[in-house]
Order: sequence, then C-alpha cells, then structure tokens
Amino acid sequence: MNARTRQRERRATGISILVALQALACAFFLADLVGDFAQDGIGPHLVIEAMAAVALVVAVVLGALQVRSLIAAARRDEAAVAAAQGALADLIGLRFAEWQLTAAEADVALFALKGCDIAEIAALRGSAAGTVRAQLARVYAKAGVDSQSGLIALFLEELVALPDEGSLAAR
Amino acid sequence: MTETTTPARRRWDPIVRITHWSIALAVLANAVFTEEGSGPHIWVGYGLAAILALRLLWGLVGPAEARFSAFWPSPRKAMAHLREIRAGTVSHHASHNPLGALMVYAIWGCLLTIIATGITMAGPPPWNGEAEEGEHRSVAVATQGYAEAEEGEEGEEGEEGPLGEIHETAANLLYLLILLHLAGVIFETRRSGKQVLVAMAPLGR
Repeated sequence: MNARTRQRERRATGISILVALQALACAFFLADLVGDFAQDGIGPHLVIEAMAAVALVVAVVLGALQVRSLIAAARRDEAAVAAAQGALADLIGLRFAEWQLTAAEADVALFALKGCDIAEIAALRGSAAGTVRAQLARVYAKAGVDSQSGLIALFLEELVALPDEGSLAAR
Repeated sequence: MTETTTPARRRWDPIVRITHWSIALAVLANAVFTEEGSGPHIWVGYGLAAILALRLLWGLVGPAEARFSAFWPSPRKAMAHLREIRAGTVSHHASHNPLGALMVYAIWGCLLTIIATGITMAGPPPWNGEAEEGEHRSVAVATQGYAEAEEGEEGEEGEEGPLGEIHETAANLLYLLILLHLAGVIFETRRSGKQVLVAMAPLGR
C-alpha cells in the first residue's frame, strides 16, 4: 500500500469519526428537542434548537457522502495502478523475450527499469559491478538503446499516449 | 483470479468498523457497567441509537459492500451457504456471507426493539435537573410492584410493565445472538482464514 492510499485512508477514518460524533450529538439534540417540546410547547428557543438539529442531520448525511466518495476515489486509484502494473508487466515480458535476454540479463534489465544504478544492482544481485556493467551493455545493445534512460523511455513511450492534435486543440 | 483475491484482502470501511465497535462497547457498557434505568444507562442507549442510525444510513449511501442491497436476508442463499460448508468448499463474499447477513438483521432487529422500548420507557435523556425527575418516575412505578414482590434491584426493572419485559427479553436475546455471532466468527476464521478478523479489526492495516 503506498503513502497516497494510506493518507486517503487516514482522511476517510478521520471524517468517519467526525461523522459518528455528529450523529451522537444529533441524537441528543433531537431527544432533547422532543423532551422540551413535550414540556413547553413551541417557542423561539425551540425553533432555533430544531434548526440546529436539522443542520446536524444534514451534516451527518453530507459527511457520510464525503466518506463514500473518498473510499470510491481510493478504489479507483488502486484499480488503475493494478491495471497499469499488469499491462506493464506483460509488455516487459514481451519485449524481454523479443530481445532474447538471458535470465541474468532480464533480471538486471528489470532493476535498471526500476531506476537502480549499477552499484545498487550489483549489491542486490550479489555480483561485481563490472559484471553488471557488462550485462547492462548487452541489454542496451539488444534493445537498441545506449543508456538507462533510453531503456526506460522505450517502455514509457509505448504507454504514454499523446493526445491527438484534435483534442489538444480543443483544450 | 482477481475477483477472489481483491475483495478477500479488503477491510470494512471506517464507518462500518467505527459503528460496529461503538455498538459493541455500548452494549457491553449497558449490560455490565451501568445500572438499569439509571441516567448513564439511558445516555448510552441514546448514543447507541445514534450510531445504529448512522449504520442504517450507511446501508443506503455507503460503498457497495456496506449497502443493504449487498446482503439482503435470503433463506435460500443461507441454505446454499450451509450446503457449501458441509461440502467443505470456501467461496469469498464481497459483503457478509449469507448466514452472517441473517445474523446482522437479527441483531439490528433486537437493537431496534431495545432502543424503541427503552426510549418509550425513559423519555428524553435526563439532563442535570431532569435526572432526579426520571428517577422519581421509575421509583413511583416500582413502588407499585414492591408490595407484590420484593426482589431488590432486579424486581425494579421488571415492574416497568410489558415494555420493560420486552426490553429485557430482547436484551437477553441480543446476548444470545452476540454469542452466536462470536461463535460464527471463530468458525469462519478457522474455515476461511483470519481475513475475517482483519477485515473488522479496529486498528492497523
């Protein structure tokens, strides 16, 4: 779970607690209102109290709706990331097979795609920096690029669809 | 694959969790700690009513799995669920499982009965001045009964008439349902994993 999701969840929980407290206040207001009404009948004091109670009811409903939309947004976000992850994993598998990378090269290439530098990849794989450098060079050659950013760009280029001119102009 | 894994690791949303645990605490408080018919007992009862109202509102406007439409009580589905348990297969439900759904409505029914009879007996919650008045009222009612049966504190509650009877019977039924609910949770946890517990856990992720 990433930081963004966690933050959203915390916000939803915070608002939920607020809504629950409002509901509590609301119940006591309404009960008190009924009690006062039974005792004294309608007066200006009671009318104001009634408006406060109605406002609280509305606040509870609106708060609940806000929590709902926060939850819905978090789920859309999660679903979009999951879909993109799946699609990208497919694409990476396809390209690696197409370039005929060996298992070790594919491993190194994946770390390179994640943004690791040579020293980090060497540490992660427990091999010498020189080995990694050589493997990366072969990966770049097979992919037809000459740098790590070039390799990353190969995938991004395919995933990021530029809006066509018509829709750009419309904006 | 995604259909079974995604809802399986989901937790209940914060409103469901907050209302669940507040109601559990309120029931515990009024069952064990507050004196029957006392000011705090009535206050807690009103609080419980508010939280239950919020949960019922959430059943109309909440996310899909928290809505009534996701877990209509259905004896047919409950029977199918029983057959599934007997067959030893486990299927995931995005909302309550069919037996759990029946339990939810049974507990809500009990709570609503308790709240309705409680409010009818107690009237508005006792603010400072009215607290004594409220006590006078219940004492006045109770004294009628003292002549017939002196059962101490227990008797006092019983003398509220049919409403008190219903209030108490529903409360006892509620305790039974809660025990069944806990048994169901334990059973389901052993059957389909601790996800059942994680989903309703008040804290953590």
